[in-house]
Order: sequence, then C-alpha cells, then structure tokens
Amino acid sequence: MLRGQIRPQAVASQRATRRECDASRRGLYSKGVTNVYFELTREFNRLGPVAALSSGQAVVYYRLAIMSKDGDWIVRETPEACRRVLSVLSERGAQYRPAAPLDVRWLRGGWSSHFEHLDERQRRIRCDFVSRPPRVSSEAIAALFHDSATQHNFPVVDRETLIRLKQTGRAKDYAVIGELARQLPPEQEIEWTTDVDRILDLAGTVGAASPRPSVSAALSGATRASVVAALAQELDELQQADRKRLDVYQRAAEPYLAEFRRMGLDQLPLERAHEKARRIAEARLPERPIEG
Amino acid sequence: MAMLSDDDLNLRDLTDDEIDRAWDLWFDLAQATNEWDPAYSHGVFSGLEEQAPDKRVSRLKSEV
Repeated sequence: MLRGQIRPQAVASQRATRRECDASRRGLYSKGVTNVYFELTREFNRLGPVAALSSGQAVVYYRLAIMSKDGDWIVRETPEACRRVLSVLSERGAQYRPAAPLDVRWLRGGWSSHFEHLDERQRRIRCDFVSRPPRVSSEAIAALFHDSATQHNFPVVDRETLIRLKQTGRAKDYAVIGELARQLPPEQEIEWTTDVDRILDLAGTVGAASPRPSVSAALSGATRASVVAALAQELDELQQADRKRLDVYQRAAEPYLAEFRRMGLDQLPLERAHEKARRIAEARLPERPIEG
Repeated sequence: MAMLSDDDLNLRDLTDDEIDRAWDLWFDLAQATNEWDPAYSHGVFSGLEEQAPDKRVSRLKSEV
C-alpha cells in the first residue's frame, strides 16, 4: 500500500469492530454531519470566549480549501480558559500527546499543548493549542476574545492573523497565504501576497512604500526576474526564521519530553496526565525558552 | 498565476451544510492515512518525530 492510498474496506472493518467510545455513548456529538473541529470550537466557547479557531480549520472556515486533519486554537491565556478546554477534552476521552502542559505558566512562554481522542465514528481527532503564536501581536490576540469577535460563540482568527500564522517553515503554507491575501482589499493584499504576478499588478495600482523588498523592487520598475528573486528571498527568510525558532523550543523540551514518555503520560486519563505533566514541567521545562 | 486549483477554490458557492458535508467526507477518507501523518503539524513541536511507536495506534490495531 502506497502512502496516501485509501483503504475503505479496511477502515470500515476497523470501525465496525471497535468498541463504541465514551463520547458517543454520552451523546457529546451532534447527530447531523458537521465539522467536528467547528463543533469543538462552539463547545469550548459555550460559557464564554476561551479558544479561537486558527490555522488549517480557519482556512476551511474562510472557504479556501478542504484541508487539515487537526484542529488548532489560540487559547485565552487564563487558568479558567485552560480548565474549560481540559474539561471539554476530558469529556471526550482525550489524552495528552507528548507536549507542554496546558497551563498559562508555559503557554505564555510560547509552548504548545497537544491532545488526541477518537470521535463517535472512531476518527482520530487531534487538538493543538497555543496562547502566544509567533508573529502575532498581543493586541491582535486580545481582540480575538472581544465580544464583537465572538458572535455565535465562534471566535476565529482574522485573515491577517491567519496569514502571520501560516508564515511557517513549510513551503506549502505560502500557497495558502497567497490565496488568503486575495480575499483582502488590494492595499492590504500587496503587503501579504506570495504571488509575483499580483505584486507586479498591484504595484501599478495601489503600490506605496513597503517594507517588502519584492514590492519595493516592483515599485522601482525592476525586472520581473528581480522581483521574483526578492520574493523568493523573503519567503526563504521567513521559513528559516521559523525553523530556527522551533529548534530552540525542541532542544529545550528534550529533558521534559523524555520523562513524559518514560512515565507514559499519553496513556493516562487527562486529569491525571495534566497534573503529572505540570510536575515534570516544573523541573524540566523552561517557561520561556525565548525571552521577549 | 493562481496557486490553488479551481477545484480547491470553488467552495464559496457551497452552503454551510454542503461545506460541512464535503469536509466530513474528506476527513472520513483521510483517516486511512493517519499512520503516515507527521507527529506534529502545528505548534513548537512541528517537525519533531515520535520517539517511540504510537501506543494508541497499536492498541487500536490490536482490537480489530
């Protein structure tokens, strides 16, 4: 079987023979077809805004693509928000994956927390949380949880924040950025687009002084090849910066993750795993690997 | 140059119910490739490999 091939019969067979999960028995999922990550977003925020949908599922929300098997949220940086998220996940039988505890002590240092469970159809649900995503200002994060941004108990990151989140080390994210930028007004699109044709077109209509070398090149009448080279350099610098940042965290996490795995916390009920993860983190996980 | 195909971008005309169903069908089928997914696709552990076989996946396999 090659990577990516679908095996519907095998999948159906597995589903038919697996035990029904706790979440299904307790009726925690709606009967109709829905995006499970959208449903989780509503449940997290049912008692007040605590978690804003981000990354791949936000791309689905903005109807750019059907993508992402995971759910990612920016969690409000309060103990109450963490408790609410843990409660909702615990009801669904979620377990920790090796990662930082969902606790403001580590979240405020930029760490991420990761969980996994099976839904009522035995599908793997992965839930990822940060409170201080890279490249996003504290003002933009605070705005996510204002009343005006949380209509229908459904906070979701805005397009500009989503673009910043997608400026990762992964090349595939830059195609999404290009399409997200197309949904912005032209004056904003030119500041974010990863499409050289759009930069050249927009420079002639809405172009103004820009910190982007590619836009500056287009504005100065440089050749297309020069604009292409400037854009490629911009994107490479973004990718390298993201990889450098992740390397700092992953090296800092090694002693903690080794103990997390040794103790098998990803096999424990969520509440027990959370308390043990916090105790290990106090001894082995620096709260702020990157100052500032 | 468009960076995503027309098939990727024709979602705006769908109703909420239609897009939910489309995503749900895709997610259903995508379960078949779970074991090849990266360990972490978001957050500060992105790119980090699992250090040991995923015990939950092993446990599920043992039940079938």
